[in-house]
Amino acid sequence: MPATSVSANTSVPARSPWLTVALAWFVPGSGHFLLGRRGRAAIIFVTVLIPFILGLLMRGPMFQPTSTGDVLSRAIQWGGLIADVANGLPYFLAVWFGYAPPDVATHTCDYGSKLLVAAGLLNILAVVDAYEIATGQKD
Amino acid sequence: MNLSLNHLQISLLFALFASVMLGLVTKRTDRARVRYGLYCFGCFLLALFGISWFMRLLHG
Repeated sequence: MPATSVSANTSVPARSPWLTVALAWFVPGSGHFLLGRRGRAAIIFVTVLIPFILGLLMRGPMFQPTSTGDVLSRAIQWGGLIADVANGLPYFLAVWFGYAPPDVATHTCDYGSKLLVAAGLLNILAVVDAYEIATGQKD
Repeated sequence: MNLSLNHLQISLLFALFASVMLGLVTKRTDRARVRYGLYCFGCFLLALFGISWFMRLLHG
């Protein structure tokens, strides 16, 4: 049982796993910070934030939800959107501040878009790790 | 400010960040994390250059 495991492991501060997951998603690295893993939290923060910022600087477009096109196109758009949103606060800040790259097909924009997605996917890995630490499945 | 990186630079950056994260979340000790991160980075490089040369040979 996760609750028992958490209380048995004295190196893990007692935190709600879902609060940890929500925080870890919203601010990259904050889940680990909440669990007392400050070094790892800093590395995760940097590892997610740098590709995200590089993606913005390369004017990579964010994926948009769509209901048109074939199944594969919709899967790519929705999958990309989920990965973009997985960046948490950086994504919402970018949208809030009106980040709108020009709709042009250049290889630089395409790489930027992939970096934005990659940053979100890396954050998902960190969120899962924070959840496993919070539930005592790993230390 | 617009940044323009080429395919190789982007691939190397992705390999670096992915290796750091994979090392961080999969291993228990710092030493194992560093070793696994370096291993992943090496695998990324091997795949990058291996597939690149394969495609070059394929196209002649």
